[in-house]
Amino acid sequence: MAFYENTIIAKQDLAEKDLKSLKEKYNEIINSSSGKVIKIEEWGLLNLANKIKNYKKGFYIHYKFEGASKTVEEIERKIKIDSSVIRHLTVKYKQLDTTNEFFKKDNKKS
Amino acid sequence: MKRKNKKFQKKGSSNSLNKLSLFQKNDNKFSRKCPLSIKNAPIVDYKNINLLKKYMSDNGKIISSKITSVSFGKQKKLTKEIKKAKILGLL
Repeated sequence: MAFYENTIIAKQDLAEKDLKSLKEKYNEIINSSSGKVIKIEEWGLLNLANKIKNYKKGFYIHYKFEGASKTVEEIERKIKIDSSVIRHLTVKYKQLDTTNEFFKKDNKKS
Repeated sequence: MKRKNKKFQKKGSSNSLNKLSLFQKNDNKFSRKCPLSIKNAPIVDYKNINLLKKYMSDNGKIISSKITSVSFGKQKKLTKEIKKAKILGLL
């Protein structure tokens, strides 16, 4: 078992209901495939630095979870099929720090 | 006596106004110590965009450690984190 972080960029033009269902969908996928979600962060709508598939903005969802290599395979397989996700990134960590939230601070300032 | 004079000269040259010629390097423009390996240094992470932006040029290139005086290990980590942030479209 190891710790992972997974970020998903969803399409900008999704409705709020779809976003919620997308968020819960991956939460369930992680939990069902021998993983455990520790924290979910929503970074909100952010401007992309360059165009990705002709989109200028994206909705960021960030997962911190504990799981085996099987769970990562399962998530990435599901993401590749999903058409509402533009891009994703999974990173392996030895330890997760759940205290720092870099994107929440920015929202408060602005 | 000669040694003493040399030391004195070095101290004097720390001010940019005391330069003898234009082509002389001004050594004290950037601090020599690595700014990322002090106590309570900021975390190098792909989510910490404000920090990563400091070590990139306006064109999106990574600035070399000669200029920023980041240590070798931290520079390696910086490049990896910057590339992760670029994949996510954050930088």
